[in-house]
Amino acid sequence: MLPKKPNFYALLGLFRSAKPDEIRRAYLKSAKKLHPDKNQAAGETELFLDVQQAYQILSDPQRRAAYDATLPVEDSEAGPKSPLEYKIEISRPNIPSGNDKQLIYALLRLSAGADYKQIQAVPPLNVCLALDCSTSMQGPKMEMAQASAVQVLRRLKPDDIFSLVSFGDKAEVAIPAARQIDVHRAEIRVRALTTGGGTEMYTGLKAALDEVRLYNNPGAVNHVILLTDGRTYGDEEKCYAEAKIAADEGIGISGMGLGSGWNDVFLDHLADLTGGGTMFVREPHDIERFLSEKFNNLSRAFAQNVEFYAEVAEGAQANYVFRIQPDAGQLSFQEVTRLGPVLLDEPLAVLFELRLDGERQNGQSFELLKGHIEASIASILAPVPIIPVRIDVTVDDSAEPVGPPQAIVQALSKLTLYRIQEKARLAVEAGDYEKATQHLQRLATHLLSQGEKSLARTILLEAQHIEQQKSFTDGGEKHIKYATRSLLMPGERIS
Amino acid sequence: MINCPNCRNQEPDGAIFCSECGMQMIRSEGQDTQSIWPEPDDLGTAPISGRAVDMANVWISLHLLDNGQILSISDRAEFTLGRTSENQPIMPDVDLTPYNAFDHGVSRLHAVIRRLNGAVSVMDLGSSNGTYLNGARLAANNDTPLSHGDILAFGKLKIQVILNI
Repeated sequence: MLPKKPNFYALLGLFRSAKPDEIRRAYLKSAKKLHPDKNQAAGETELFLDVQQAYQILSDPQRRAAYDATLPVEDSEAGPKSPLEYKIEISRPNIPSGNDKQLIYALLRLSAGADYKQIQAVPPLNVCLALDCSTSMQGPKMEMAQASAVQVLRRLKPDDIFSLVSFGDKAEVAIPAARQIDVHRAEIRVRALTTGGGTEMYTGLKAALDEVRLYNNPGAVNHVILLTDGRTYGDEEKCYAEAKIAADEGIGISGMGLGSGWNDVFLDHLADLTGGGTMFVREPHDIERFLSEKFNNLSRAFAQNVEFYAEVAEGAQANYVFRIQPDAGQLSFQEVTRLGPVLLDEPLAVLFELRLDGERQNGQSFELLKGHIEASIASILAPVPIIPVRIDVTVDDSAEPVGPPQAIVQALSKLTLYRIQEKARLAVEAGDYEKATQHLQRLATHLLSQGEKSLARTILLEAQHIEQQKSFTDGGEKHIKYATRSLLMPGERIS
Repeated sequence: MINCPNCRNQEPDGAIFCSECGMQMIRSEGQDTQSIWPEPDDLGTAPISGRAVDMANVWISLHLLDNGQILSISDRAEFTLGRTSENQPIMPDVDLTPYNAFDHGVSRLHAVIRRLNGAVSVMDLGSSNGTYLNGARLAANNDTPLSHGDILAFGKLKIQVILNI
């Protein structure tokens, strides 16, 4: 009997119908992970050779056809089994004909497969903490940041790689990236950090990313945490460009904004480009709690670099894409949307608001959105099969209307509040204070009915302030934004 | 296009919530009662004479001093009181409209009464004409304990509290 040949498609995590560019991408991904320069575990080099052979054959149309002929016919459509569980719900399967604008909501959920939850294999970290040490950090902020960094150092596991970059006008590597850092010496370095200068975000970000890049590998969680209390001037675009490069390399960025002076729009967008999230740290004494929460989340990662490649139908567009959990935040929908990690014990949930314009005939069907999800899982050697995603609606005037699924309504009930907050903020920026106050009052009414008393009160006070002073209180808009956002997340609340 | 019944804002077909005022416009699959569309029968607030109430579980009754009617509450540990009017985003759990609430100066969302660990308290929700406990006006948004026999006034509508816990 012939020895069983490995299935080249399964090896690369591909469907039999995979297109050449999908094959190439899947190969590059596994090759990066399994390359003999990087791999550590036994057997990985052999797997790397198999992957190479698979690519050589599948990338050549003639050899691929010859290989396909040797495969049994029956499994031509069945894809390899994914370690990720995938579910999508839509608000309604049917839409009426005509040319009225139509909204369709879709809730996408990804979670760790049941078999994998048992394993609890947490990947090692490769994290750099980029600490804003500009003049404004002086005092309690800096003291708390230093103390929190020391706490992090003490909690590192032997496999974890950690580095710390301080930045003001220029960046300095206070703790170079390494495993098994000498905690005592590192503590002295952290305690010796001083404040001074402005906030040159780009230099800090670049230096931090370079530290992570030294040991960047797909078997770890590669991440930069940027803690800042200020805003950067003029180098935003450079930061975004750098974040995009980092995302392609598999490095995530998370923001932690301290106090009221930082630029939340900038930090949110920067993190979003890599699938990361931003936290609002109101008071210096909260730094430690948020930082340890961030580290916890990073080490609970199951799938990382979850990328959504999608196209929308002609006449359709994705109005609003929002990650409900684990880390609530708006996502920018592009050719590749980075959805953020799937945690071991918490699913990834993303809500899409899709809009369809144009003429529709009864009986016609629309492929509103079509694409696939790619992800990598640090604890699994073989590549993760791609997950095809499709959202279809049919034009049917005789269909009985069905109510939207409860999960969508629940997510939307909270998201609507967040969006009213956005509207209030835009109204203040546009100078329409009456409208802003009205929005905030409506927001407060809803919160009151949901039992969020203290937040409702804060918002009412804020509405009063806008009425009288024509502006939010210092940091008020951030407080409302991140508090309404945190309503979406299960568990802890900002009040 | 659909019009929001609350604020008249126009939303595209398929919208589930009004983007202006946040009101839910479409009910979800299998969603029975939502606080914004209460069905009075479900709330256990019908006058005693009108409907059989599970008396064993009644923990509070509201004795309307004006006409002597008694409202008994059994199936929830927290309820809001107020009156209903058209196009209102949030409906109170206990609707006092039939008891001349408007003339007595009851706000749409006037107060909330709740039971927590065996203690009952009342909180004014920022009503226009205030909530009075035994004649003293309560500060808005503050929980105040209630005892058996207390007289509450929502605006001018007087109610005696009868506790059964």
